[in-house]
Amino acid sequence: MTATIPDSLEESKYKKVTDLNPEEEIAPGSALCAGCGGLEGMRLAMKVLGENTLTCNAAGCFTLISVYPFTPLKGSWLYTTMSGPVPAAQGVRDALDIRMHKHGLPEKEDLQVIVVAGDGSTNDMGLSPTSAAIHRNLDFIYFCYDNEAYGNTGFQQSGASPLGSHTMTSPDTPEHPAGSERTKKDLFGIWMAHNPPYIATVSPREPIDLSNKFKKAKAMKGPRLFICLSPCPTGWGFDPKDTHLIAKLAVDTGIFPIKEFVDGKVTHTKRPHKRLPVEKYLERQKRFHHLFAPKRRDDIIAQIQSNVDAYWEQYDE
Amino acid sequence: MLRIRLHGRGGQGIKTASQILGTAAHLAGFQAQDFPLYGAERRGAPIVAYARFSKNIVLERGPVAQPDILLIGDETLLSDPMAAVTQGTDASTLIFINSRHTSQDLKKHYHLESLPVQLDISELCQKYIQKPMILSTALAAVGVRLMGHIDLHHLLQAIREELGQGRINPEKIAANLTLAEEVFQKAPSFDLEFSESDNGFSASRLVILERRPPVDSAPLIFATGNMAQRKTGNWRTHRPVVHNEQCNGCGICYARCPEGDIRMDANDKPVIDYDHCKGCLICVEECPKHAIEIIREVESWN
Repeated sequence: MTATIPDSLEESKYKKVTDLNPEEEIAPGSALCAGCGGLEGMRLAMKVLGENTLTCNAAGCFTLISVYPFTPLKGSWLYTTMSGPVPAAQGVRDALDIRMHKHGLPEKEDLQVIVVAGDGSTNDMGLSPTSAAIHRNLDFIYFCYDNEAYGNTGFQQSGASPLGSHTMTSPDTPEHPAGSERTKKDLFGIWMAHNPPYIATVSPREPIDLSNKFKKAKAMKGPRLFICLSPCPTGWGFDPKDTHLIAKLAVDTGIFPIKEFVDGKVTHTKRPHKRLPVEKYLERQKRFHHLFAPKRRDDIIAQIQSNVDAYWEQYDE
Repeated sequence: MLRIRLHGRGGQGIKTASQILGTAAHLAGFQAQDFPLYGAERRGAPIVAYARFSKNIVLERGPVAQPDILLIGDETLLSDPMAAVTQGTDASTLIFINSRHTSQDLKKHYHLESLPVQLDISELCQKYIQKPMILSTALAAVGVRLMGHIDLHHLLQAIREELGQGRINPEKIAANLTLAEEVFQKAPSFDLEFSESDNGFSASRLVILERRPPVDSAPLIFATGNMAQRKTGNWRTHRPVVHNEQCNGCGICYARCPEGDIRMDANDKPVIDYDHCKGCLICVEECPKHAIEIIREVESWN
């Protein structure tokens, strides 16, 4: 699918944080953890998307975004099962289209339909409906906050849990010293195989990059999908004040590539000049603690490093 | 039966404190029950845990509505009506407050019916484990002391067992044991009497709720962004304070605050919304000019 990006976008790009919309589109007061990286990502995204939105929210940590009778959003919010946010988005989109085309709903009252879902919903239960929706060219924005486990239920392993991470269902034991023995699913690649108009990975630590990507997506039609790395102080085991440091290290070590997919081409929009060793990222999180103590597991760390190196080899100039 | 209720914030080790208490009582020969109340609780949010001990089988279930002992790990919760810390207490309730204030001042300020037991366990936690707000061991030690009937070695064994299950290194466990001994020596002992005539079960008194205008309980869901009516400022254990003279107005703190609690004023200086700031301290960490200071929220009044 070919994307149409207006030329005017180039000039109106965000360049510094003070260019961001000063209005907060998500009110404070939600019960999400202090220092939530996912909330920071969604906050920045909503600053661009504005209030004419309808959010279809899968069960997950962000269940706590809106707890009846309270909502932090200016637009509407529809709560769904873990596998249901994309079918819900289809229903809402169809209803809006029918009302506009058959029942005279003015076009200015149209809403941008947004799916907000965690990595568990996105990689596991909700993957098949998403595949179908991209195939049908559903006009929606998908925001996946990726904290690499089922965070809301106490941090169980998901399809996005990385190799070597300790989760409640992949603890490190003498038989399984790595903790999680599976590697993270390549969700970007799975989505890319469907050839939608736009896919991007974003980090809360890169507000300008994130905002420009949402701005670009907002001007487009069809399925536009985002993966937002969401450092999780509670589940990953680090001090809440370090959320942005962890997000930065994920990019600097090359573990989380910041990229976008437009017109069949992948571009890395923030590329580490010289990648730091992965252990700089791993050693700061309790979920990887067993790789360093009581005995250093160089074999597992080396495997994680070689996976990262293999990824970047595809793109080395 | 003896009923204990523990109050604190997510991340302070309140659940672990109840587990240590339960295990210590079990080792001392009691029938024991301990459990936290789970909901949408998060780090910093008010947390409740319960314990029941008896020489006979404990058949009573559910939250403890009328505690014999109330252990309050975080004094700031007393100013928060939502946390309902003193609910179900009366003049006979033995109340412990982790505070720097005197018992007399605490009683007067919070309109308590009985004179509370006071000890600054945060200071001891800072001294022994360098974490003033990880209260699990110290609060359990206070609980053991207040109820009596449990020896120091039972407490220490319980700490070894409970902390040994977590991913805690041996040096930290040793530091916790020293901390527990110190608190055990410092906290007063009461050796509370166990009334065992009640065959393990007693019905809770009916709580008659005060009549309030409907608008108090039913804010308009049609109002956008009404989540702001919920104040999360009480989650905070530390307060970020901006020093404007050092601030260069770059807006990094505003951009990085996940809650959107920082706005830039007309002079490009950040203004923090303390009603909602959860105290993650990202702004302190990220400020390139180190213009934001951390102040510990130790008490509700000065």
